[in-house]
Amino acid sequence: MKNVRVFYRKDGACKYISHLDTNRVMLRAIGKSRLNIWRTEGFNQHAYITFALPLSLGFASECESMDFRILDDDEDLSAIPERMNACLPEGIRVFRCAEAVHKPADIESAKYAVQIEPMNENEISFSELSEKWRDFLSLPEIIVQKKTKKGMKDVDVKPYVLAFEMKEGEKAAFDLTLPAGSTLNINPNLLIDAFAQSVGIELYADITRVGIYIKGGEDFA
Amino acid sequence: MYPETIEKLLLKVQKPGRYVGGEHGEAIKDKRQVDVRFAFCFPDIYEIGMSHLGIKILYSLFNEKPYIWCERVFAPWIDMEEQMRAHDIPLWALESGDPLSDFDFIGFTLQYELSYSNILNMLELGGIPLLSKDRHDLKHIVVAGGPCACNPEPITDFIDIFFLGDGEEVDLEVIELFRACKKEGKSREEFLRLASRIKGVYVPSLYDVTYNDDGTINAVTPRDGAPAVIEKRVMMNMDKSYYPDNFVVPNIEIVHDRAVEEIFRGCIRGCRFCQAGFLYRPVREKSVECISRQTHALCRNTGYDEVSLSSLSSSDYTQVVPMLKELNSWAKPENVSLSLPSLRVDGFSDDILNEIKTVRKSGLTFAPEAGSQRLRDAINKNVFEDELMNTCRVAFEGGYTTVKLYFMIGLPTETMDDVADIANLGKKVLDTFYSTPNRPKGKAPRVTLSASSFVPKPFTPFQWEPQDTMDTLREKQQHIKKSIVDNKISLSKMTYNYHDSDTSYLEAVFARGDRRLNAVMLEAHKKGIRFDGWSDCFSLKNWLEAFEACGIDPAFYANRRRSFDEILPWDHLDYGVTKDFLHRECERAYRSEASPNCREKCLGCGCTKYKGGVCYEKR
Repeated sequence: MKNVRVFYRKDGACKYISHLDTNRVMLRAIGKSRLNIWRTEGFNQHAYITFALPLSLGFASECESMDFRILDDDEDLSAIPERMNACLPEGIRVFRCAEAVHKPADIESAKYAVQIEPMNENEISFSELSEKWRDFLSLPEIIVQKKTKKGMKDVDVKPYVLAFEMKEGEKAAFDLTLPAGSTLNINPNLLIDAFAQSVGIELYADITRVGIYIKGGEDFA
Repeated sequence: MYPETIEKLLLKVQKPGRYVGGEHGEAIKDKRQVDVRFAFCFPDIYEIGMSHLGIKILYSLFNEKPYIWCERVFAPWIDMEEQMRAHDIPLWALESGDPLSDFDFIGFTLQYELSYSNILNMLELGGIPLLSKDRHDLKHIVVAGGPCACNPEPITDFIDIFFLGDGEEVDLEVIELFRACKKEGKSREEFLRLASRIKGVYVPSLYDVTYNDDGTINAVTPRDGAPAVIEKRVMMNMDKSYYPDNFVVPNIEIVHDRAVEEIFRGCIRGCRFCQAGFLYRPVREKSVECISRQTHALCRNTGYDEVSLSSLSSSDYTQVVPMLKELNSWAKPENVSLSLPSLRVDGFSDDILNEIKTVRKSGLTFAPEAGSQRLRDAINKNVFEDELMNTCRVAFEGGYTTVKLYFMIGLPTETMDDVADIANLGKKVLDTFYSTPNRPKGKAPRVTLSASSFVPKPFTPFQWEPQDTMDTLREKQQHIKKSIVDNKISLSKMTYNYHDSDTSYLEAVFARGDRRLNAVMLEAHKKGIRFDGWSDCFSLKNWLEAFEACGIDPAFYANRRRSFDEILPWDHLDYGVTKDFLHRECERAYRSEASPNCREKCLGCGCTKYKGGVCYEKR
């Protein structure tokens, strides 16, 4: 039995598959691909798959991963991406399959490529929007309302902006690195919503997760 | 694919996955390479429409033809509709993202009367003129099929063509005709006239209806050579009938998220309230071999690990246990579980239970429909109390503790005593639990009584019957509640729920309505009425205002006893069962007399003319 991790992209129509539904889509793809994977042996037996880091509804990603256990030790892992892609919707493409290196608990941060624009066209120019966003991120503190298990809480997210880089071009685009993982996870929308509120403009944000990292900035593998 | 314009709106609505397509198994074609574009519209939300078997069959059937591209369209939920209207985005099809107005055919499935208002709303959202007479040229042909096409009169102003009966052949014949007409440059009128010659096709604009002073129908007269009587189509050989080997597998969870295999069409029972039991006659079975082969392919191609074996009454399949055994020969090793819905009380056996046993034991559901034996005889349900108790005992011994019982109130000949017997029957099931020695220990039983209101439907022996008034129905609902209390039944062991009688009333009006209701439909649409099947949207008050504005009394359709010699709005449609047979069955109901089922004795319903199915089975 091998612990296997598949890496996949999720975009297009598949951005709108929730985490729970992604689980169902993957289970059916595995069923259809006839991959022989380990099943739970309890009361309600089912194929066992786990996801390292859930992706928010509406986000695209270039670096999703899913773990399962292959029963046959001689299984050719390099053939798995193609086998699974034949069984998946267009918007989910597996591009790599390998034995898992890190534990999901090792994940510390994630990088998002973000593009923001006003919901109503022409309300603000992209250059002005970029400017305001830059100003916003250079504030001494950024207080946002974060939903926690104990209700809404005011949190200063400024220290959590691990890296930030504006991108050249016509649109207001930037990369943002934020803490990620099971202990502390900051959703980029938390910042974007707070920004939208501060400028008083309804914004649309196109968000793609482009990297998931462990301690020291190494790629999660 | 979805239009670029909605990208920004998707995260503002619930479940955006409903609107984007992109599922595994969807048919993507090049629109320049096809001759006919068909928009298959389901007048309800994605999760409901995608659960429907008919759309899966016809979608695959159409798309197997290289010259047809069939796409799916569902009704947007109210939050998305609001966004679409605010941003001027027309209703689109999921495969291409193109607006409805780009399509040659706009096809609706008529599953229930309460979805009619969504049809008008979808046409409007798609930029299609609502009224048939306002649509010109050979495009935007609005067609409809499904069970409610058996009395389509209330929506004849909006639909150009109705398909009666099984759609597998007739739909394609009409599409082929359209293709030929388009090539030859024929007019819309010419196409419709030619279509009316095809068996199973009803072109309502070719018929004139006149009325008597009392509001009943005087005559229905065909024009331009249209047939006086339109016969339904039937697929007689189910093994050879088209069945898809793959489904569009949804990315978001839908209501029935599993593979479905139809095991037979029709029903031998002839329960007198049940429209499906008469519309789909005669019973036509698939062979065990065919079922197993089709099911296996479906599971392999979709990746589903659950199959529902669909029919109107699963335990009436002649080879039910051999079928389950055959299926399990591959299903068990492949971890596929089988489910057998629509089990009759008397068809529930240990053998079946063993084959469909799943690890999760949910409750069992049965439909005795009426509380007393007298009334069960009158509606021809043919279920006996001791059978129900035996079945419950088997279920309790098998570890089940929850039993759900479905009933109807407002049935013809019903008395308050019959109504009280619903609670009594529930109590007897509880008693059975406690008298079963091998019952699950340490667990309390739970019986749920569910009462819906009877709606008289066309092509049933009760098609002449008045529906109880809403006041009477409410009185009966309360009477059940009172009987539970009088019986001193613990409410922790018995749940009672009933359906809103308001929606049943509207359903009754439209089920047996005539062409004068078209005006009411249009008025309701103008008032913004849609999603009547959803309690968060339905308002009887709004509907009553629409009736009033049109000067139409809904009680004329719902609560009036019709005479046996009255011309009914659907009399020019032929579903095989004769009016004479339905009349005989109705008279038997008045005498509280049950009838034998098709396998016991032929009652001469008229369907032997199809030359097959159960009528010609060896007995």
